[in-house]
Amino acid sequence: MSFDCSEHLHYKVLHLTGEVDLSNSSEVRKCLLDILNAGQSVIVDFSELDYIDSSGMATLVEGLNVANKNNLQLMITATNGAPKQVLELTRLDQVFTLVNSIDEIKE
Amino acid sequence: MFTAIERLGTSVIQSLEEVGRMTQFLYRVVISIFGRPFSFNDLLKQIAFIGAKSMPIILLSGLFTGMVLALQFYDALSRIGSSALMGSAVATSLVQELGPVMTALMLIARIGSATCAEIAIMRSEQQFDALTCMAINPYRYVMAPRLLAAIISVPLLTAIYNLVGILGGYIVGVLFKDLNGAAYMQTIIDAISWSDLRMSVVKSMLFAVIIIWISMGKGFFVHYEKGVSGAEAVSRVTTKAVVSSAITMLFVDYIASSFLI
Amino acid sequence: MSERNLPFIQVKDLSSYYGDREVLRKINLTINAGEILVIMGGSGSGKSTLLKNMLGLMTPVKGEIRFNELNMCQANKKELFKLRRSMGVAFQGGALLSSLSVGDNIKLPLRQHTNLDENTISIMTRLKLELMNLAGFEDLMPSELSGGMLKRAGLARAVIMDPKILFFDEPSAGLDPVTSVELDELILKLRKAMNMTIVVVTHELESAFTIADRIAVLFDGELVITGTVDEIKNCTDERVTNLINRTPREVQIDGEKYLKRLTEGAA
Repeated sequence: MSFDCSEHLHYKVLHLTGEVDLSNSSEVRKCLLDILNAGQSVIVDFSELDYIDSSGMATLVEGLNVANKNNLQLMITATNGAPKQVLELTRLDQVFTLVNSIDEIKE
Repeated sequence: MFTAIERLGTSVIQSLEEVGRMTQFLYRVVISIFGRPFSFNDLLKQIAFIGAKSMPIILLSGLFTGMVLALQFYDALSRIGSSALMGSAVATSLVQELGPVMTALMLIARIGSATCAEIAIMRSEQQFDALTCMAINPYRYVMAPRLLAAIISVPLLTAIYNLVGILGGYIVGVLFKDLNGAAYMQTIIDAISWSDLRMSVVKSMLFAVIIIWISMGKGFFVHYEKGVSGAEAVSRVTTKAVVSSAITMLFVDYIASSFLI
Repeated sequence: MSERNLPFIQVKDLSSYYGDREVLRKINLTINAGEILVIMGGSGSGKSTLLKNMLGLMTPVKGEIRFNELNMCQANKKELFKLRRSMGVAFQGGALLSSLSVGDNIKLPLRQHTNLDENTISIMTRLKLELMNLAGFEDLMPSELSGGMLKRAGLARAVIMDPKILFFDEPSAGLDPVTSVELDELILKLRKAMNMTIVVVTHELESAFTIADRIAVLFDGELVITGTVDEIKNCTDERVTNLINRTPREVQIDGEKYLKRLTEGAA
């Protein structure tokens, strides 16, 4: 798994690549919380994500909670395959703002 | 006639199997104490369970035992004119013998039966299987804290029993009979040596191991009880644990005394 | 996708004894990655023993059990530990630890085996509770739960680490029909979303036919047939048809002997 960050408008984009699971979700968590605590909204890009487990999802949920508390946004883009099914299974697709692609985010 | 021999043989084999199982069990519990993550929390919970729950019964039985001892010794010693030695007689009996043994018996009744039943129920509900499948060592997680807690608590409880017993002796000797309070205490201080105290501690630690080992072990192997299951098996095994720990404890008491006195 | 059909669990020539009695006879079974295999049989067929052997709770007297390349009987501590972490087991009565709350029970594997932050652990636990329709039951003790709830809590604990392999011991026993159907759907969803390999030991026909990719039928310690639902339904072996049609075993009555049994010892 690897992740890197880029910018889109005023958002930080967190690209997740490969598989997020118990072994690495803590790293993602640290990165995500650092971005949010620095006051920036986040777009999490799932386009290169093959697999995400519950620890990864829990990390995103925590991130969303922190974002809401600080009047920031956390969105997820390009969900597909297994990660999409996990979102549906856990009904988190009704909790997160899901966007098809980054380009759709104009402001 | 052959049936009788067959039955004898079977019961001998079964007893040996049980001894083997119990020994292997103790070994595994002791080994598991030396594993990595050490849960202080669990240990404290068990110490609270053993110590706190037993306090009332220890205090009461200690007091009454001390008082009865005082009466007995006063009576016997007065006849040879040595009633002043009553204090040391009471204290010595308590510290060397009655403290450890009585404390152990009270704990067998209170803690031994409860522990055995708890472990037996856990076994019946497959909780140990579940722990194993979760790659959690059941010996480490469930048994070791209880064993350690017993080794720590029982000597302390025994010491309390001894003190309260001595107090009981004081009440009878000084308040009811006519002994001198200071003299009472002095004879005790003169009579009790470090080796007596060491005997008390060693015995109580040995008894602690025996009580917890047998209660947990019998509960752990409840599924080996033939012909019964469920609540009846739990109750049967608990009774066996209580009887077995009491008798083993008394036997070990004799062995220990013969070495330490 | 080709990975899907690689054998994942292999039971080879497994024999097991209970004292002198042979409880399992030369069982050969392959479970493919990502499939749902149902092991069926009447009481005394040996299915619980088979499950115990697969879980490593019993050592095979003869034969072996392999998880991919790993021979479970020869695995060292570390390998076994790693294997167990990727397995989840849902026991018949839930098998929750009686001294811990439901929440703490579910969190137990996470707290023991991972360094995850408590916040993450808490959210993960609640996600699983929601999945099992047990939202809000986190702080209750097992003694306060009904049988069905205990099963679901046990299942939540079994899947908390998103295991690759999930074992069910009689999931439908004691559940009402509605919950049973919901559980079946949950099993299918879990396999789909998490790509789990699932082994279910049950005697409930409807559930088996709903969820199974393949069914293995045990009778008296022997593996009679392993096949798809259709293959099982079309099987002509008496032992299988009896099981499926729930035919009670015919007891031949010898009138004379019967009378004797009834009246023996009477005046």
